[in-house]
Amino acid sequence: MKLTRSGLSLILLIALTACGSSEGTSGEVSGKASGGGSLTWAIETQPITFNPQLWAQNKARLLVFNQFDALVARGADGGFVPWLAKSWKISADRLTYTFELRDDVTFHDGTRFDAAAAKANLDQFLVPGYNPAVAAIQLHAFDRAEVVSPTTLKITLNEPDGLFLDFLSSPLGGQVSPKSLKSAKDLKAGGADVVGTGPFILDRYVQGQEVHYRRNPAYHWAPEGAAHQGPAYLSEVTYRFLSEAAVRVGALTSGQVQVIEGVPATEVALVKADPGLTFQSALNSGTSFSYYFNASRPPFDDERVRRAFREAVDLDTVLASVYRGTATRAWSVVARTSPFYDPSLEKTYGGDAAKANALLDAAGWTTRDAEGYRVKDGKRLTARTVASAPFVRDRRDILAQAIQAQVKQTAGIDFQVKIVDQGTAQKALDDNEYEVFENSRGDSDVGAALNLILPEGAAINRTRFHDPETEKLLARASASSDTAERKKLYGQVQRAVVSDHAIVFPIYVPADQIAARATVQGLGFDPVAGTPRSAYDVRVGT
Amino acid sequence: MTATRTPEAAAGPVVPPPPGPAARRFGPALRWLGPVARRAGSGLAVLWAAATAAYGALRLAPGDTVDILIGEGADTPGIRAQIIREWGLDRPEIVQYLGYLGRLLHGDLGRSYQLQRGVGDILATQVGPTVRLTLAAAATGVLLALAVALGTAGRARRLRRAASAAELVSVSVPPFVIGILLLTVFSFTLGWFPVSGAGDPTALVLPALALGLPIAGVLGQVLREGLERALEQPFALTARSRGLTERALVARHALRHALLPAVTLVGWFTGVLLGGAVIIEALFGRPGLGQVTMLAVTGKDMPVVMAVVILSAVVYVAVSTLLDLAYRLIDPRLRSVR
Repeated sequence: MKLTRSGLSLILLIALTACGSSEGTSGEVSGKASGGGSLTWAIETQPITFNPQLWAQNKARLLVFNQFDALVARGADGGFVPWLAKSWKISADRLTYTFELRDDVTFHDGTRFDAAAAKANLDQFLVPGYNPAVAAIQLHAFDRAEVVSPTTLKITLNEPDGLFLDFLSSPLGGQVSPKSLKSAKDLKAGGADVVGTGPFILDRYVQGQEVHYRRNPAYHWAPEGAAHQGPAYLSEVTYRFLSEAAVRVGALTSGQVQVIEGVPATEVALVKADPGLTFQSALNSGTSFSYYFNASRPPFDDERVRRAFREAVDLDTVLASVYRGTATRAWSVVARTSPFYDPSLEKTYGGDAAKANALLDAAGWTTRDAEGYRVKDGKRLTARTVASAPFVRDRRDILAQAIQAQVKQTAGIDFQVKIVDQGTAQKALDDNEYEVFENSRGDSDVGAALNLILPEGAAINRTRFHDPETEKLLARASASSDTAERKKLYGQVQRAVVSDHAIVFPIYVPADQIAARATVQGLGFDPVAGTPRSAYDVRVGT
Repeated sequence: MTATRTPEAAAGPVVPPPPGPAARRFGPALRWLGPVARRAGSGLAVLWAAATAAYGALRLAPGDTVDILIGEGADTPGIRAQIIREWGLDRPEIVQYLGYLGRLLHGDLGRSYQLQRGVGDILATQVGPTVRLTLAAAATGVLLALAVALGTAGRARRLRRAASAAELVSVSVPPFVIGILLLTVFSFTLGWFPVSGAGDPTALVLPALALGLPIAGVLGQVLREGLERALEQPFALTARSRGLTERALVARHALRHALLPAVTLVGWFTGVLLGGAVIIEALFGRPGLGQVTMLAVTGKDMPVVMAVVILSAVVYVAVSTLLDLAYRLIDPRLRSVR
């Protein structure tokens, strides 16, 4: 084919314009490492609130510390390091915490950060209706905060609380400007008028589409041990909400976004095979994704049936087929990332079909009905799991179906998977009309999660099982701040619930993934939570 | 959102009763105003019924509102009391209902349980993008349907078969799949259009196409059949014998006949558009009512769901009122009734 001269130049012109326009969007991206650069990051979950003190979505954790800082941070080794507090002292009775605060920090609205501001943040939780759950759980031991001097804050507790610093370092401990606390239009929703001291300033939020941050040029109070000090590298960063995994991956491979989080198992191979992309993943903190057996009603009021269910599932095979080798099997209710994880539980149970059948025979589920399910006293051996659709992620519905097929085949258990709306799920839980409750929690200190799951009457004690011994261990571990002692106590707790009473079937350790263009550097995961870090250290190289 | 009505019920031609003396005096103006006023009256009744039905349905749906608001958080009597007080859930059912209607009359849609913001504020930012998307999709659907119908009506059998097959596919493939396909080809591979971005008008192309294709399919089929039927009528023969070209015949006479059943479908495709927007908006990461509705329904966020229901009812009433007027424009028989 012959091209005329004018035709050729037209094509050249178009090609040039195309380059020019693509540089218009990605040209800013390749800015100098210190001077600027912008980035678009596609994320799966849209936050329900931008107010850190009402934060409840682990998938939205990566946004919080762009905009907000906390008094203390977690270091790479999991210990607490100074952030807005330069240092702190804990009294011998562990009831008084005295924080020395930085005197050079300002909020995005120009307000100075001082002890009065920190006190206002703590006191805000006591406002009725603000965040009653945090007031009742994380701050159950909080008595009062006092301003000793502009840079000295004294906090008094009613009783020792080993989780108090963890609370202060969590998103819930994010410091909000007192001016915002007083006068923000929608304080509980957060947004551009609920400001913090963080390395980025939220300046635009389009619900359903994206949230945009620009750099806070005054920022020079990164936590001790951060990869760099001073303002963030990026001059701006946009997080785009793309809930569909295939769309996120497509947007990344076609260069429309530079970073994505949440790469499903089905797409990991594709991303890894692309030399222009990087892939990293990290296991989350908190509890493993587990099935909790409802021990208050048949059939799981019988410990043998609980054990039989675990033995009936060849979990390694199930995980390999559902997650294509990307999932990490869990052996304990505590995720293996936790310093309190008890590895002695590994390979102590599961995957023994003969044992499952023997246990069920012993428990009296001896006859079978026409469909092959076990029957006792005319009732089929049925277990229902009721999951709320908005919380089903990581292909957990597919996983449940795989387990359903296995327990039917190997042991004649009728495992029914019900994915329903939130109201229906809540009603089933309240009415005790379920046999299995599936859940994972991303708490940075797993003790906080166990306190919600195991004690009698705790908020998400869905096993409805309680054991005074375990509760004593939990209470001692919560009050202690000695890691070695807590490890010993939580080890006992894990053995009690996993081995001795078998009220839980740990399945896999949830993980987060980041895929990015190879030019993007400084991405990584929070050392404790295992969720993607903020954009503070991120830069775009050439 | 996807309330389906039979096309006949959606907007059957309204035959006005014989006009009174006033009508005779004011003539044409009243002939238009009468039906509109009557329509507005029945529209208000429909709105009230929609609001009440939504309220009742959500009350009856499983799950206690307090439980929903507590979610996975701590559940103590103290916390329950705080929540009940904050949202006024301790008042008798009838008081809550009347209070809700009263606030509605004042234009107060309440506060979202989940998003902790005024529902009016939320909708204000989300209506625009959805309106843009649905209008663009409707325009795409109508233009495509017209082009295909005019291009194939009365033409070679093979051409008509091909068009018919394409229409069938566009109707039967779910919008989600159409969206993924369009994205894969035109965005990820060819790079012609971005995935999302509301500021960029090119970002509207793919979602509008994904949402408009099913409409083009149905509408195209109806239009072509209508055209073909009209072209077989005696008037077509007369027109041809007057020496009218085939093109002029179609444009001036046959199309008008074919449009009548097509216009009736508008009520149906309003539902398709609003329902499809839920999927398309999530897929393309676009802001809009669809995403808000999905979040609200799954989270039992009553104030938002009810606001969306009422808004949809307003749209339906407005659309069917406009349809009645459109009939009178298209079909002169309706105008000349005395």
